[in-house]
Amino acid sequence: MTGTSGADQGGKQGGQKGSFIVERQYVDDRLITEPKVLEDGGIDMSGRWGVLIAPRTITQFDHTLFHEVLSEPSGKHAHQCFQCGNCTAVCPVAEEQPLFNPRYFIHVVRMGYPLELENVRKHVYLCSSCGRCSEVCPRQVDPSGVMAAIGTVIRKKER
Amino acid sequence: MSNSAPDPAVLVVGAGPAGLRAAADLAGLGIRVVLVEKRAELGGAPIRWRYKTLAPEQRPTEEVMGPMVRAVESSPRITIHRDALVDGLEGSAGSFRARIRATGTGAVEDVEVGAMVVATGFEHFDASLDPRYEYGRAPNVIGIHELEGMLSDGRVACHDGRAPKRVAFIFCVGSRDRATNPWCCTVCCGVSIKQGIELKELLKDVEVYMIYIDVRTFGLWEDLYWESMEKHGINFIRGRVSQVFDTGKQLLVKGEDTLVRGPFEVLMDMVVLAVGISPGEGTAQAAKAVGLNVNKYGFLQPRHPNVHFDSGKEGVFLAGACVAPMSVEEAILGGSAAAMQAAKAVRDLTAPVGAA
Repeated sequence: MTGTSGADQGGKQGGQKGSFIVERQYVDDRLITEPKVLEDGGIDMSGRWGVLIAPRTITQFDHTLFHEVLSEPSGKHAHQCFQCGNCTAVCPVAEEQPLFNPRYFIHVVRMGYPLELENVRKHVYLCSSCGRCSEVCPRQVDPSGVMAAIGTVIRKKER
Repeated sequence: MSNSAPDPAVLVVGAGPAGLRAAADLAGLGIRVVLVEKRAELGGAPIRWRYKTLAPEQRPTEEVMGPMVRAVESSPRITIHRDALVDGLEGSAGSFRARIRATGTGAVEDVEVGAMVVATGFEHFDASLDPRYEYGRAPNVIGIHELEGMLSDGRVACHDGRAPKRVAFIFCVGSRDRATNPWCCTVCCGVSIKQGIELKELLKDVEVYMIYIDVRTFGLWEDLYWESMEKHGINFIRGRVSQVFDTGKQLLVKGEDTLVRGPFEVLMDMVVLAVGISPGEGTAQAAKAVGLNVNKYGFLQPRHPNVHFDSGKEGVFLAGACVAPMSVEEAILGGSAAAMQAAKAVRDLTAPVGAA
């Protein structure tokens, strides 16, 4: 099981699964396994003890998506990012929508964190391409271009 | 300056970058030097640990150390005592009597000197003192000083002989940590990154992860950091590793990627610890023998924090990493600076210059 908690990054919380879990709102839906029926050797074991919360620990770094982003013309400088966050600091979209965070998207795609990627997928298209991030980027990453490249790569994957 | 009596000699303790530079410069000024080195070979840490290249430009260590070692070994003005240490210092500036003891035989020899340069250097932090990294127990957990030797041999391999596919460097081991050493060693970020680049050049399909708290590639060393990402695709993860667990086949590295608030437990083939800089036994021994001030961390304490060469004891000057963690280039500068002060002292050109 891989991934980090979406607790602060838009993962769905407080759904139907595991409704009896104490402080349920802090657990990401995607990490809860709740079998309707659990049988062991013909004995019905169904019940609360069948419910598991997987750890949100990241168990591997996977750079395949990032390499695809780098091969896109507008994403070719993504590897120059050193995570200063200047892009997010000037981003007018990030000002309104905390789930859109160019700095964070670049890192998540680079390291390939599965649970977080879902958040990237949902929100990367919010980029308005105003280019303010690319003006201020100290390492000429062109974050606005990288957002487009990430969007393209994800779209290709989902096709 | 009198032409009738020769200038008193200068005692230099430690034959690393700082001590060698000091000895060579003093000899170049026509001053006799007594050079004492506790090990058999000259060159200090870069030679002892076989540094392949030096940051930031990956120039061979030999280019820097070779000329200094040869200058010192060939100079008729320099008397070298190997496997020896300075056991005591009596007298005052201009007429010291130093006791040199051979560590093997215990033979003692007294020398008359006019001034002294202390350049006893540092030790790489012993990572077995920080048990969370399994250093000394898991064979594929090594220090940057050991990787340097492997890189010099042109072969980096795990304990069982296979080439590592995934290598994690853990920064600040024995640095910036109240449990071990609270100071920053200043150079291990740059050295680790330099080694990461060399690993990428040596092993084509290796994936390198730098796990850092801050990347402190000071000054022009910053180029290393940029190039490691832009040209070599080295990955940087911000966080501090809490534990390394040896599975028998691989190493499970636990930490938090603080940029996404995500804990990770990732398998690596090799873990390289960016061990810090510790004052070392030689510095403690010399401080005691000579009667020098030591700061709360065990480094020699200059009279003024911004003037490294002034020991606070007249006629005794400090140089190199025995004063504070530093790079090879800074140690060489320190050696030269201390040599200048020692030369002034023995030639009585002026009163010894202090912080004022």
